[in-house]
Amino acid sequence: MMNGKEYIESLRGLNREVYFLGRKIKNVVDEPMFQPHIHTAAMTYELAHEPEYQEIMTAVSHVTGERINRFTHIHHSIDDLVKKVRMMRLLGQKTGTCFQRCVGLDGLNAVYVTSYDIDQKYGTDYHERFRDYLLQVQENDWMPSGAMTDARGDRSRRPSMQQHPDAYLHIKERLDDGIIVSGMKAHITGAVNSHEILVMPTRTMSEEDADFALSFALPADTEGVSYIFSRQTNDTRRLDGVLDGGNPKYGIVGGEAVIVFKDVFVPWERVFMAGEYDFTTELVETFAGYHRSNYGGCKVGLADVVIGGSNWIAEAHGVERSSHIVDKLTDMIAMAETCWSCTLACSYEGHKTPSGAYNIHPLLANVTKLNITRMVYEWMRLAQDIAGGKIITLPSEKDLENPEIRETLFECFAGKQGFSPLDIIRMLRLIENMSVGAGLPEAMHGAGSPAAQKIMIARRSGIEKKMELAKTVAGINRDDYFERIIGKDETTHWNEVKKKLRGRETEIY
Amino acid sequence: MYTIGLRYCGGCNPQIDRTRVVKDLREGLAKLQTAVDITTDRSRAVDLLLLINGCEHACLEEDYSERDGPIISVEGLMVDRRPVEEDDIPDILIRKILDMMSSSSH
Ligand SMILES: Cc1cc2nc3c(=O)[nH]c(=O)nc-3n(C[C@H](O)[C@H](O)[C@H](O)COP(=O)(O)OP(=O)(O)OC[C@H]3O[C@@H](n4cnc5c(N)ncnc54)[C@H](O)[C@@H]3O)c2cc1C
Repeated sequence: MMNGKEYIESLRGLNREVYFLGRKIKNVVDEPMFQPHIHTAAMTYELAHEPEYQEIMTAVSHVTGERINRFTHIHHSIDDLVKKVRMMRLLGQKTGTCFQRCVGLDGLNAVYVTSYDIDQKYGTDYHERFRDYLLQVQENDWMPSGAMTDARGDRSRRPSMQQHPDAYLHIKERLDDGIIVSGMKAHITGAVNSHEILVMPTRTMSEEDADFALSFALPADTEGVSYIFSRQTNDTRRLDGVLDGGNPKYGIVGGEAVIVFKDVFVPWERVFMAGEYDFTTELVETFAGYHRSNYGGCKVGLADVVIGGSNWIAEAHGVERSSHIVDKLTDMIAMAETCWSCTLACSYEGHKTPSGAYNIHPLLANVTKLNITRMVYEWMRLAQDIAGGKIITLPSEKDLENPEIRETLFECFAGKQGFSPLDIIRMLRLIENMSVGAGLPEAMHGAGSPAAQKIMIARRSGIEKKMELAKTVAGINRDDYFERIIGKDETTHWNEVKKKLRGRETEIY
Repeated sequence: MYTIGLRYCGGCNPQIDRTRVVKDLREGLAKLQTAVDITTDRSRAVDLLLLINGCEHACLEEDYSERDGPIISVEGLMVDRRPVEEDDIPDILIRKILDMMSSSSH
């Protein structure tokens, strides 16, 4: 297992093609615009070495029996599923942002489960190949990015019907020793600081889209693969100094990128699905289930930070005892713990799959994420309420450093005695970073937009069974247990009851 | 006589009608004139354990994970971790039971 520093050093060995702000970035590791994201991912490595976190951050590999970073582990028990979300909350608390590595973890688990099922049906050897790959991931402690979302162009048209053929990543050619692929994946978290790319299809494919039913893994610096790094809210503040960035150590969201594949060769041993369109739903839904469950962990870890920050600011401003502030903080806590309850529930209600790996409860995982799409906005709204308008009107760090106005500004932003104005500004910047910017749409769209969760919830709700329950209670269906309690059939029972009531009706009316 | 120990999970939120599955199973075995005794008596020694879990979480599997001897487990819309249709479950169980009976008599 690598530690944080070793992870950062390991990235230097990868020579990838990265573009940002109109420039080609030669040195990814030392680029100040990328560094906060790299530090956050490094935390997933560092904590695995700390005895006080090893129980959550590490696991025993079912392949080798060796202790590994949990981010490379295939869940093999309910306990694994629960520890996974505990790990998410812990890392959210330590960084206050997205630590990126969960997408690859969910991809590894989803491909493990699905490749097994494909082989059972078609007699292919995808699962064996994937186990070999997994072994390398575990032994090298790699971070693969999870590349599912295609560019997708016109959302109303199938992949094969798109105007631009590269809107969805696809197989261009099948060779004896591998395949040639082209296309684009968008919004890929941690892409420029991952060792590998794990590709999955983005949606259910039909027969005519068989060439888009594709899963494989490649080293991040494979020839023909390039990256265009995305912008985040206030990102260039990182170039202005330290304070204005809000969370200068760990940044904001995960550092997403477009990944472009241009005629890229993938050897067969790294291909885990190539045309089995009838397994795309399983792969997408399995991945989405794992990933949606995470949000009840990581975003609750972020909530812990923002709730703590809001309470601290309330104290600094001398309003912490005010009833509406206490009420708002309590609401924030209740919402965060609701999401936490959801993710614990979907982990505890998990199940074993035919591959032997464990999967979360899909319905509850989707409920978790749907709550996140709403509640993150609500608790961040309350954080803004408590923190005040200064979160968006603070002067810059450069002005705070200017001796001509420095003291005036400190007077302006002073709070209760005992709180340093600089610390108050620091905390307000953190709350700005977490509540005003990219973290909100991340909660909305990351792991799929709300409509995607609703589709899964509707599909898995068991509505037919609920109608049967209602019909039984309403007396439309026969109620065997009721009949056993009363010791006769219902019709006889109600006839007898009516007879008994006959005398009493006149008494009442 | 070949004895099957029948265990139901608690039935909090089942995906299947557990009692109907067992009723159809009993009727199916009777039609084939298979001599089996299906019992819910936990104190009796049995040849095979049949776990009827209402959903894929399969609470019963945890309880019996240490047990030696054959087990068939219905896990909601899965039997022994293979996805199935609810209506097919009794037939699948009959096939599995007959297989187990013939292998135990060899
Ligand atoms: C911060 C962040 C990190 C992410 N990280 C990753 C990652 O690491 N890996 C990865 O693979 N993906 C990642 N994603 C992608 C994420 O899964 C997508 O954002 C999400 O699936 C929505 O896609 P979109 O953003 O293209 O929005 P759109 O698809 O444009 O959706 C916009 C609206 O259109 C609706 N819509 C879209 N298609 C249809 C349709 N066919 N019918 C009806 N309505 C439709 C949606 O429900 C939504 O309301 C990330 C996203 C974000 C924001």
